[in-house]
Amino acid sequence: MKPWHSLEEKTIWVTGGAGYLGSAITTELDSQCRKVLCFDLPGRANVLVEEKQLTRTVPLALDLNDAAGLPNALAALIATHGVPDGVVHLVTASSAGKRLEQLLPEEFQRTFDLGLTPTFVLCRAIAEKMKARGSGSIVLFSSMYGVVSPDPRIYRDPMAPNPIDYGASKAAILQLSRYLAVHYGPSGVRFNCVTPGPFPNPAVQKAHPGFIADLSQKTALHRVGQNPEIIGPTLFLLTDSASFVTGHSLVVDGGWTIW
Amino acid sequence: MADSTSFSLHGKVVIQFGGTGLLGRALVAELAATGCTLVVASRNRASLESLADKERKAGRTVLIEETDIGSETSLSSLRDRVVEKHGRVDGIVFNAVSRPMRAMTDDLAIWRQSMETNATGFFSTVRTFGDAMARQRSGSIVNISSIYGMVGSNLSLYAGTNMTVSPDYFFHKGGMLNLTRYLGSHYGPHGVRVNVVSPGGIYNPDAPQAPEFIERYNRLTMLGRMAEAREVAGAVIFLLSDASSYITGANIPVDGGHTAK
Repeated sequence: MKPWHSLEEKTIWVTGGAGYLGSAITTELDSQCRKVLCFDLPGRANVLVEEKQLTRTVPLALDLNDAAGLPNALAALIATHGVPDGVVHLVTASSAGKRLEQLLPEEFQRTFDLGLTPTFVLCRAIAEKMKARGSGSIVLFSSMYGVVSPDPRIYRDPMAPNPIDYGASKAAILQLSRYLAVHYGPSGVRFNCVTPGPFPNPAVQKAHPGFIADLSQKTALHRVGQNPEIIGPTLFLLTDSASFVTGHSLVVDGGWTIW
Repeated sequence: MADSTSFSLHGKVVIQFGGTGLLGRALVAELAATGCTLVVASRNRASLESLADKERKAGRTVLIEETDIGSETSLSSLRDRVVEKHGRVDGIVFNAVSRPMRAMTDDLAIWRQSMETNATGFFSTVRTFGDAMARQRSGSIVNISSIYGMVGSNLSLYAGTNMTVSPDYFFHKGGMLNLTRYLGSHYGPHGVRVNVVSPGGIYNPDAPQAPEFIERYNRLTMLGRMAEAREVAGAVIFLLSDASSYITGANIPVDGGHTAK
């Protein structure tokens, strides 16, 4: 018997699949799936495939910021590669990167236009195709900052606190995921969120040891997460290990939100 | 460092508390199949022998240890026996439950009896084994709660059936959720993770629930059905494994979307 978490014969799409969290996920999926489609900004997915010598991953660029053009682009991808068995959608981690006092209304709006609307368009387009087959698993990415506010005291000058437009759009992803889970549940399509805690990339870990110490103190495990630790939670939700789990936010935060 | 991409429990020593019920039996079968050394701690050895025999014939390692979780002495003796025999404890699954109470009108003595196992016995178990795992600087505790630790019950579900929902269950399953967060904080610095799995209603193929209940219950889930007992095991195995190395204090409902709506 194949194990619960088997991804053999499956095709998985990963958007934002060459970033810090995405690259760990894509690389692991490459070793387990029949085929992986890795989407990122032009060129980035190709670099990942080359660096990690991935053999089953197709590197692609997809303009997820173009909500209007997205349905046609997705239809073309499905025509070529088939309906995916699962999708990991990481790409929406955008913000204007400004302090609250300086953030313009149109910049706030833009974060939602880039992060949220394309997520909805993508999820609906793919879920409608999965619905016809009667199965599929879509994993969205929220953040602990979609659940709790950043504590400004650990962002010492000149570092700005994690921005408000980021957290607000991540909170919206959580509700989007629940709504889609309920809507598509009867069709056998599951929607869940991975909600990561502190996963600063290696450059930040190296450049800001004081900040890392502050982040660590806010978790029960007294440390920040490393990107391999996001793989297990994502694969769990993608596979039949989670066949009765839908509409859930799987918090991977070392205990950040438990106190 | 542990391989945080691995769902494998191969080589791990896992103790499961409570193994005779519908869910307990399914967990025994699925956990044994992962290749761990599975110790099933139960009040009643006899009721587990045939299941354990079946698993052993399939080449799996399943041991039964008669244990009274109402007794700290019994628990520490179990801990000592397991550590002596296997060298360590990598995970525990707390699935023991006692359901003496039937209704709101029951005598308080029955409530107290329920708490003796479900509150005190639970705490005593996780402390005994949490401390032991903290000493070895690693381990994972998985507590089995319920959606009835998260939400109340729509009593019209049960109308016209002989099924009941008793108040003590809501108290101790809800308490289990927040005690898990406390334990996550307490044991986190020692490398021990503590999490909860909250199943929704589980279909019983051997003694099916009342048809009108099943029909109403199915409508409350977004997947349109009750859980199969084995479907709870995926989340339990994940939380026991190193694949969840940065997850602590979390709750995973296995409820087909019951609590998402």
